[in-house]
Amino acid sequence: MKKIFAIAILALFSLAAQAEYEQINLTVFGMDCAPCAHAIHVSMKGIQGVNTVDVDLNTGLVAVKLNPGNSATMHQFNQAVEKNGFTHKDAVIVARGKVTGTASAPFFEVAGTQDRFALVPAKAGVDVAALLGKTVTIQGVLPQAGKGKMSATLRYSSITEAP
Amino acid sequence: MKSFLILACALALPAVAVASDHGPVFSYATPVNSQGEFSFDTGLFGRNGSQGTQLSTGSGFGYGVTPQITVNFFVPATFGSGSLPESRIFPGGEWSAGASWRFLHSVKSVGQRIESTASLGVVVPGPQEDSGILGSLHRAPGVTGSLASGLASRSQYAWVGAGYSHFAEASHDRRPDTFSWSAVYGYRPARLRRGVDKWDYRGFAELTGEHTGKVRSGGVDVPGSSSTSLWLGPSVLAIFKDVAIAGGVQGPLFRDASDSIYGRERIRFAINFSYLKYSAHASSH
Repeated sequence: MKKIFAIAILALFSLAAQAEYEQINLTVFGMDCAPCAHAIHVSMKGIQGVNTVDVDLNTGLVAVKLNPGNSATMHQFNQAVEKNGFTHKDAVIVARGKVTGTASAPFFEVAGTQDRFALVPAKAGVDVAALLGKTVTIQGVLPQAGKGKMSATLRYSSITEAP
Repeated sequence: MKSFLILACALALPAVAVASDHGPVFSYATPVNSQGEFSFDTGLFGRNGSQGTQLSTGSGFGYGVTPQITVNFFVPATFGSGSLPESRIFPGGEWSAGASWRFLHSVKSVGQRIESTASLGVVVPGPQEDSGILGSLHRAPGVTGSLASGLASRSQYAWVGAGYSHFAEASHDRRPDTFSWSAVYGYRPARLRRGVDKWDYRGFAELTGEHTGKVRSGGVDVPGSSSTSLWLGPSVLAIFKDVAIAGGVQGPLFRDASDSIYGRERIRFAINFSYLKYSAHASSH
């Protein structure tokens, strides 16, 4: 009984400490046909930690949901789009990670990856100073970057301390 | 060793962007493979004329080295005897290898792209003899190049392209240089603009033309051996995930060729089957 209790505590602790992408929505340009969408689907599903991939050809929206505990990086998703000969515009993400930096120059880091973004509020009135050093769940937009590059900033629309 | 290296380079190099797995069956088009994507094509191509029917089949392989560069080769086999003019749009008995480079790739909106692709290849005689006047020639390798540009979208496709092939001389014989061109328009009706889990259909109207120069035999250009023709016809491409089937037929709009040498070519048809193996590999960084 003691062991089960200890394992449960450990599991809860690791869940609270984990940091990862939970959902990524990309608007992909240039897909004209079903095989294009299938190629994107196969490439995205090949990324470890990806749970589901939905591709809508008429809107270009690629919606990716990830499993808890994944260590997928944004670079992998960008690469999956680019290696199929397409480009994507902004990416809307939901992720867990840590707020680092300073109150005047905060960053969002996804632990277990090298992904680190300068935090920029999408609207005024959202203060992240109180969240420095804490694990948060964030939703925001990674603006389109050049081919092979990744956005350095994350325009967040919501940020809350992770339970 | 030198011959092996030349052959290796040839196979690592080029083949031409006709009858692509993503595009029309007769015409030049711009699509190339995704990075890491293998494509396998096999088909039946026929030309019927007053002197018989020539059928060719074969296997083509393509591999996407980068998102914009695909290397490919095609190994055909021919049947029948049509005594028909040289054609580079239609496969004959030559083996070919090449590379296609999509050097322009403008993707600025959902479901639409404008692109241009250049292809360069080598053509080497296969083990089978040609028929008619071409069958009497000593054969030598040739080089071939093409350029295609166009638009691909959810509703419409349009490509124009042209290619040129030149053959070396062998024992004072030479196959004719060939200039080929094509224009194709494709359309996908609104109710067929469906999702990834459904068959994807599109129809094309394909206009192709070829001019072949004079055949050289024994160091002399054979009189009346040049030809010019223009062909038009429909084709359909159906794709489901990783398999594609394309078929089409063309009839002559214009034909200027010697009846005594080539007979009268009446119809061209093709059916092509493709298997596309996409790469799931994604590097960690």
